[in-house]
Amino acid sequence: MTLDAQLAARSPSKSEAAAAFQTWIRRVVTGAAELRALDDGQLDAIIDPATGNAIMLPAAQVVLHGSRRIVRNAFDALPSGICVLDPTGTVVMTNRAWRAFAVARAGAGLGIGEGGNFLVACRNADAGERVHALAVAVGLRRVLDGSLSQFRRDYACRSPGGNCAFTLIITGPANNASPHVIVTRENVRERKQTRASHGRGRARRNRIVTLARAGTPNRLLASLPARDYARLRGSLEPVTLTYGEILFEPGQPMRHVYFPSDCVVSLLTIVEGHRALEVGLVGREGMVGSRLALGSTQSSVRALVQGTGAAVRIASARFLRAFRESPALQRTMLRFADTLMTQVSQTAVCNCFHVVEERLARWLLMTRERLQTSEFHLTHEFLADMLGVRRVGVTTAASSLQRQKLIRYQRGNIRILDQRGLEAAACACYQQVRIKDPDARSA
Amino acid sequence: MARKNSGKGAGAPQVTTVVVMRLYIAGSAPNSVKAIANLQAICDQHLKNSYRLELIDVCEYPQRALADGVLVTPSLTKVSPGRTANIIGNLSDTGSVMAALGLHTRAAE
Repeated sequence: MTLDAQLAARSPSKSEAAAAFQTWIRRVVTGAAELRALDDGQLDAIIDPATGNAIMLPAAQVVLHGSRRIVRNAFDALPSGICVLDPTGTVVMTNRAWRAFAVARAGAGLGIGEGGNFLVACRNADAGERVHALAVAVGLRRVLDGSLSQFRRDYACRSPGGNCAFTLIITGPANNASPHVIVTRENVRERKQTRASHGRGRARRNRIVTLARAGTPNRLLASLPARDYARLRGSLEPVTLTYGEILFEPGQPMRHVYFPSDCVVSLLTIVEGHRALEVGLVGREGMVGSRLALGSTQSSVRALVQGTGAAVRIASARFLRAFRESPALQRTMLRFADTLMTQVSQTAVCNCFHVVEERLARWLLMTRERLQTSEFHLTHEFLADMLGVRRVGVTTAASSLQRQKLIRYQRGNIRILDQRGLEAAACACYQQVRIKDPDARSA
Repeated sequence: MARKNSGKGAGAPQVTTVVVMRLYIAGSAPNSVKAIANLQAICDQHLKNSYRLELIDVCEYPQRALADGVLVTPSLTKVSPGRTANIIGNLSDTGSVMAALGLHTRAAE
């Protein structure tokens, strides 16, 4: 009972009580600084020297009363049943969910009300739940004596409302200021349902992302974060690229960029207007038109489709817009541009210094990685163009590899028989330009 | 509003020792909440980690306040360094608080 209330009880009217309270304050508070703070409305409470109690001033009482109502409402709104115990185990406060459980279960499952003692309730529990109740009593005693900060126990019982299962969580005092213990009752079925629904949500999101990427096995697109891929997805157009199709010619603008799925595109440098030499090979690990990412809108090479297959393409303007907006796409594209540059320079070295047989082995291995198959159709003329040698040179090299049982070559159909052997037969350049992704090698 | 017994004169705004303070509050009453926030702001700006603050809730420990000679809350007591100083109220007067704590900065002057 506050002093205000005590005085009000003794005084005939409210105004007289207030006046008496003010008189009492002026008697207790005598210092100039205290009086100034009082007049400025900066004080909350005064300690009564006679009783040693803290007396709240009326303005603070009004605010605290409002705060307590808010806290009480929030406490009642919590879905879990909660009760607060004092240091003796007596229930001093319960929320609505706790009270509702106690009424519905007629006291089973330790559903006791305010004023009851939790330890006594554990001792008096029905035979069907006594094992649980005694374990809870042991845990509660440990929390109350401070030897345990939190105790959990899954609890099951029978009651007039049917069988029920829940988890009791007993949490000790957060600090020395409040010695109270909090008991929370979590309904197991609701918790399981919540977890299952979260799980379903996650699985659904994963499925959507998987489905969205299923049509584009291109490794560059697959490596993009979901949000960045979503930015591109609406503009991606599935296309079929056919053998011999020319996507770009040197000096011409690149209207689209292509992301191969299961086809291979050769990048050829044109010499003296008609002779071509392959300087790069792009498959599902990359893209055709990466110069756009480096700021150039014209192709420097001829992009020639080597094997019919699927790809997706995007208009250059839209690609550039997405490229500007997505740091992840920028990183991915620049990383690929660097990889392609390595391949081009390594190919130049290879064409200059290594014998045709080694170069043919390298080229077959690179094609296999990108097409994801060990068997493909290539003519001697085509291979001669790719490697920049005469047709007879290809025939000799292919025959040699066939004699070593590394490949089988028949009427333009090539089958790789021994991948490791072919790797050993290839020049060291292959190790520099091979796809680093292990999935791409496991054809 | 403020009563200070600090014997320190104006000098460079240097804090080399730990300032020990006690703040007496009344639960979550409005002036007590403001006092905590105001003191926290001053400490963060001028004392960094060079302070130790003890919060005493007179609703829980009225006898402790009484024993320390504190009759009203919020009330801040600077225990050390130097002489003890008290300041009463919600600590919204930053200059007075800094003077009581011996933090003579240009702002306080």
